[in-house]
Parts: sequence; C-alpha cells; structure tokens
Amino acid sequence: MATATKLYKQSWHALRQLQQYRTIASGNASASIKSRNELFNQEQKRQRDAVGRVEKIEVRYLGLPEDVTLVMNNHISTPYNCAQHLSEGHCKRSALALVDGSVPWDMHRPLQESCTLQLLNFNVSEPHVVNKAFWRTCSFMLGAALQRAFKDEARLQLHSFPGPNIKSGSFVHDIVLGAQNWEPTKAEMRAISAEMVKLAAQDLRIERLEVDKELAKEMFKDSRYKSEQLPSIAQQNQSRVTLYRLGDHIDISRGPMVASTRFLGKCTILAAHKVANEGSTDAFYRLQGVALPTGFSLNHIAYGLLEKRAQKLNSARLPNEPFEEQQQMQLS
Amino acid sequence: MNQADVSKLMSQLRIAVRSNKRNLKNPDGPEGRLLKLRKTVTALVKHERIELFYNRADEARGYAELLISNAIRHGDRHKATMELADYWLLEKQLVHKLFKVLVPRYENYNVSYTRMFKAPRDYPGIYYRKSVLELRGNPYPVLTQDNSQNRNLLHNVLLDEARKEFRREKLASLANKLAAETEETPKPTVEKATEV
Repeated sequence: MATATKLYKQSWHALRQLQQYRTIASGNASASIKSRNELFNQEQKRQRDAVGRVEKIEVRYLGLPEDVTLVMNNHISTPYNCAQHLSEGHCKRSALALVDGSVPWDMHRPLQESCTLQLLNFNVSEPHVVNKAFWRTCSFMLGAALQRAFKDEARLQLHSFPGPNIKSGSFVHDIVLGAQNWEPTKAEMRAISAEMVKLAAQDLRIERLEVDKELAKEMFKDSRYKSEQLPSIAQQNQSRVTLYRLGDHIDISRGPMVASTRFLGKCTILAAHKVANEGSTDAFYRLQGVALPTGFSLNHIAYGLLEKRAQKLNSARLPNEPFEEQQQMQLS
Repeated sequence: MNQADVSKLMSQLRIAVRSNKRNLKNPDGPEGRLLKLRKTVTALVKHERIELFYNRADEARGYAELLISNAIRHGDRHKATMELADYWLLEKQLVHKLFKVLVPRYENYNVSYTRMFKAPRDYPGIYYRKSVLELRGNPYPVLTQDNSQNRNLLHNVLLDEARKEFRREKLASLANKLAAETEETPKPTVEKATEV
C-alpha cells in the first residue's frame, strides 16, 4: 500500500510539473493551435452550409434488436444519429459503423447515400475492423496527450504515427523533441499515461473532416514535418486530406477512428525509444504504449506481460526513413 | 480471557451487506415486509435465478447467504439452524434441498454463494431499479459475457501474440545453446577427419 501511495505521489508530482510548464509556456504553440482550430471550425461550418436542400436517404439497419429501415438526411445524418433512433445502449456501445457490409465508417461522419448499416462494438464476433480503429485512435490520442504533457521549451513536434498493427503489441507515435539524450523516468511515463486517462475521462467526441490540400497546408504551416508529409498524402487521395480532431488537437490520419475517447479503458504508455538524431539539437523519439477498450478486464499478471512486450521497440516504419518509400505509410 | 471469539459465533458472509434501510414498504407493516423477504429467499432457493427489484434482492441476498452459510457450518442436526431454515423457506421440501443439494455444492467454495447483477429497466415502466439474483453453480446459461473464447477480441490477440513471441524467443535461445554445444564438442573430430 505504502509503495502504491509513493508511486502515486511521484507520478502526481511529475504530472503537476508538466502541467506547470504547460501553463508557463509562451503562447507561440497555443496560437498556432488556436488558428488551426478556427480554420477547422470554419471549414466544418462551410461544409455543413454547402449541403443546401435536404435530401432523404434510406438506411437499412442490420442487427439487434431487429432489422429496420430508417429515413435519414443525406450528408447530414451520421451512423450515430441512426443509433439514436435505436436505443441509448446502441449510442453508448457502438464504436464504429460498417456501411454496405464492408466499408468502415466513423460514427460521426455523415452518410453519403442510401446504404445498409451495421453498428460495431468491441465484443462482436469479428472485431478486426474495430480493433484496428481503436489502435489508431490510441496513437492519435497519444499525440494529444503528449501535446498536453510537454511544455513549449521541450520543443515537441509531432511527426506521425504508422498504420495500426495490433500484433506488434504496442501502438506508436513518433515525435521530435528538442533534446538528444532524453531518458524518460517511470514517473514521466506515468504522467503521460495519466494524460491519456484524463482524455478518456473527458469523453471527447472525435471529429472527422476532409479538407483541400491548400487548406491543410495553411493549417499545418507551423509544423515542419506535417507540411513535408502533406503533398504525398494528398497525392494518394485526389488532393484531399482527412483530418481528425479531439478537443483542440488536430492531426492528419486516414481513419477510421472510434466515436469517442471514452472507449479507451486501461492504458499505459511504456517506452520512449530514441530513433535518430535530427539536426544538431533535436532527435526522433518513438513513444509506445498498450491499451484495452473499456469493459475489458484483464488480470494484472496478464496485463503486465503485455506491458513488458510493449516496451520493446516497435518494428513499424521509422520516422527518419524516406517518406515515399512506402506508399502505405501515411498515418493511416 | 474466557470470552468467546465473536468472529466464530457468527457466520462471516462473503458479500458486503449494506447497513442502511431499504425502502420495502408494506401495508401489513414489518411482518408483511418480512413475509416478502421470506418469499424471495424461498423463490431463490427454489428457482436458483430470479429477476426482481434491486432493493428487495439486495436485502434478501444477505438472508440467503446467512442461511446457506449456517447450514454448511452446523449441518442438519443443529436445532437453531433447522429453525432458521424452517423460517426462511416457506415450502418445506426446500429444506431438504438446502441440506442435501446446496450444502454439498457450496462446501468448498471460497466465494459468495449468490451473485447479483443489475438488470435493465423497462421503458416506460416503474422507475425502480431492477436486478437479477442467482445462486452460483445453477444450471442456466451464464449471464455475463465470456470474453476468453473469442480469440479475435483485442486482449486475446495481444495475449496470443505475446505467447507466440515468448515461444519464438525460447526456441531461439534453445537453438543457440545447442549450436554452442555442438561447436564445442565435435570440433576435434572434424579436425581429425580433415587430417585423414
């Protein structure tokens, strides 16, 4: 018990320190985040206004309690809205939708045409798609947590996260830090994990938005690595870029992601491996963690094994390797 | 010094019994209330799984636990226990079930004898919370989801991969060991062979 309190105190202390740094931090980064969010809001509003006259579509819902046909609004109604017609439980449990039986679709992404709809949660018999979306969301959330945890002086820049691979045992986010010999202590790692848990507790909706290449460039003009990646990402997707937002954190990702941060249950950020030096002062780091969705309980010995495995360097494509080499790379 | 050990006098229950009063009003007063609880305990022993309002289930659960616990501790030759069983079980054939079926079933348990779940409430309906109360080891299908069988669930994928990696490492270390041993021992023979 005593050790537990001690650990708690340590991590609490580290968290407070990080938070203090954050509040002290000068307004440079926060200004860019603010302008990015404003652009996001404007574009979101523009797209909503551009829908114009409301057209109706027929959505055939397949699943429990019974198959029904719902009449929804084209380009406005989302799978979440369909779930609202079914029950509160459907709204709470559904992490991802499956359109026409094969296309994974974000819960908060407007439907484009008449289709069939299935709502997926983590307990379905074939949960590959949801698991993948969950793993991707974990990487994305890790980016948000890092942005909250580090102060401006650390010169944190998010680089990217490779496509989700659950079998590798850990989810990954690659960053660039203004320190070449950062060796994170346990308390620091725990502080980042705590940020993840806080994000999950806030139950933030994860929004998706497709924007033009130019707008994306404008939004990420302060971020060196993102603007480097943008051209090739846009090239793969007819010069459109898919953005995701969580709170005030915006990142590029192919998606899909789960509906809310609420689905993150047990989560630990375990390791920060230094990958390579970048310039004379900075360095690439790969942060890794392991997580389970809410409602999945695992005894601590089994979870400890997963944690142990997640500490090993993930073999996914490293951030300092050339970008064009692997077309799939895009922070899928 | 000669005081009895109080903890031995009473059965120690394996559930947390709420000390505050549940609101189980009855027009017949306390007796009617108790009769309701007796009916609930009887139904639980008879059917092994019942669905009812939360408060009533929560209170009846404590009495059912106590009854089974005492039956295990004292057996059917103990007058006080028999009177207790006679009081709580309205259908007398269930007294036989208690001593002949439930006592052997629960003798070696180290967890509670009953389980309680929160159940969904009908909408629109009475606003009382509902619950399911059951005896452990009943013959019905389980109510909780079994997450251990579906190997595609996220935690199972992670665990399976961890297991595979562990085996791979074990095999690799074994192979290394073997290679090291074979390198050490047969070298002279190989040299001899080349000399010849």
